[in-house]
Amino acid sequence: MSDFTTTIGLEVHCQLLTQAKMFCHCSTDYIGKEPNTLVCPVCLGLPGSLPVLNQKVVELALRAALALHCQILPQGVFHRKNYFYPDLPKGYQISQYDLPIGVDGFLEFYSRGVKKKVRIKRVHIEEDAGKLIHEGVFLPPGTSGVDCNRCGIPLAEVVTEPELSSPEEARDCLMMLRNIVCYLGVSDGNMEEGSLRCDANISLSSSSLLGVKVEVKNMNSFRSVYRALSYEVERQRKLLEEGKPIFQETRHWDEVKGVTVSARGKEGAEDYRYFPDPDLLPFSIKGEMIEEIKSELPELPLQREERFMTEYELSQGEAEILVQDKEIADFFEDTLRDFNEPRMVCNWITTEVFKNLKELGIDISQASITPAHLAELLKMVDKKEISGTIAKSVLEEMFATGARAREVITRRGISFISDEKELENIVREVIEKNPQSVADYLSGKEKALQFLIGQVMKETRGQADPELTKSILIKVLSSEE
Amino acid sequence: MREVISLQELKRIAQVSKLELSEEELQGFFEDINNVVSRFEKLNDLDLQDISPTSHLSWSEPPFSSDEPRAGEGGEEVLKGAPQVANGYFVVPRVVDKEEKENEDRRV
Ligand SMILES: [Zn+2]
Repeated sequence: MSDFTTTIGLEVHCQLLTQAKMFCHCSTDYIGKEPNTLVCPVCLGLPGSLPVLNQKVVELALRAALALHCQILPQGVFHRKNYFYPDLPKGYQISQYDLPIGVDGFLEFYSRGVKKKVRIKRVHIEEDAGKLIHEGVFLPPGTSGVDCNRCGIPLAEVVTEPELSSPEEARDCLMMLRNIVCYLGVSDGNMEEGSLRCDANISLSSSSLLGVKVEVKNMNSFRSVYRALSYEVERQRKLLEEGKPIFQETRHWDEVKGVTVSARGKEGAEDYRYFPDPDLLPFSIKGEMIEEIKSELPELPLQREERFMTEYELSQGEAEILVQDKEIADFFEDTLRDFNEPRMVCNWITTEVFKNLKELGIDISQASITPAHLAELLKMVDKKEISGTIAKSVLEEMFATGARAREVITRRGISFISDEKELENIVREVIEKNPQSVADYLSGKEKALQFLIGQVMKETRGQADPELTKSILIKVLSSEE
Repeated sequence: MREVISLQELKRIAQVSKLELSEEELQGFFEDINNVVSRFEKLNDLDLQDISPTSHLSWSEPPFSSDEPRAGEGGEEVLKGAPQVANGYFVVPRVVDKEEKENEDRRV
């Protein structure tokens, strides 16, 4: 394998969480709506209509730019980016060109447990295009359908410097960026629904060879970003090793086939003829507005992750899993308020709570269980009132019915056997009934012990404390010798 | 006429504007456009050393709108003027595969 350096840069579009579109009052709530119902003369680009900038768009973009440590430009100018495509009724997209919202920022994130930093080239705002459909509803043969509901939804575009050195790093960087916009309330960051979209440029170089930049598009999940870029690294490495040229081009990721495909025939096409939009006046961003937004920035995922590591003594991996979803991180900290055992709460959330959420196919915000209810359950486990195994099944019922731990336990008639004397009696009975296993254990077969613990559990219908059972068994068996 | 824009450039401008021009039309535009653009050359006579580019004539603060959604003017009203409609969609000639990809590149 030759020594090539991989260089990756990302271009990320996030739909901003406004109620109204960027330049008109149409609703942005377009998912699942009938086509062309959230439209007006402005977002359809009808003659004579004029765009007026939604203030909230600037606020949200500023929030993102400031969280990414950007320098904020005092004045923003909108440009027209001209191209023809049926999902763009005006024939141009209102975007920003040489005067974006913010420039020269940076983003920090963890990749493989190591803290990395990538510089942010720019953050700018622009409008989204509509949607084209080619199938799925009845359309005359040889035609496509245009739905303009998405036209004019505000987007923030974040562009990183090409400083990421592997597909893994690119994915981790994107995940952090997603978390940041989610924490900020700037975007919902949903890649599957297209509210977060990522393009990448990637090049391989060696000491003797300058890299050729290839654009990769159409990656619709974190996983596909990782897969597409890994594919590109291999493809380009092979070409270089065979002494073949790499073309500067755009390639599309084909999720099903697992390959990138050249989007040929674009030579000469990329001429957007940018010019300042005469319909929109330059807007200024005042110092007070910047200060106000800065002062309102919430704790960001990386800060929170590092706080979890120091304050709760969690590993970077544990902290990362918790902070990846703000709601989960909140849930974790709320649970700690009633039951201050960070590691135990972390373990329960990342295993049992996650499992239940996954099975029910819901987010934590939709779950009927509250942090206080989880704390109540974990307290019982901690005090050895119930075993971990029972707690797991109680939790399942809490998720399913919204009942609290005590209700479930009373209803099921569960009483935890932690009385040592009582348990010892049962242990002795089990030993008496299973002489062969006892003999096996005494002759050194560890497995026999597990069998005996199982028998005690069976006798007690799972209500014995497994740790306690084990220690009593060992104690009684050693006296048998 | 001074040639500021070459015939080659003109063809490209027509191409990105999705205009199909005949040879005759190209010739006509070639002369017209060059005549118009040559006039702008006069601007080069001005001394703009200390002047920053102006994108707009009015530098008053633009109005902002509030983030309040109102019912759109969509539905039938919007589709009424369209030459072809199906199931609430504007119907356009199918974008061929190659062009689709090419254009996807230019999309946001
Ligand atoms: Zn509208």
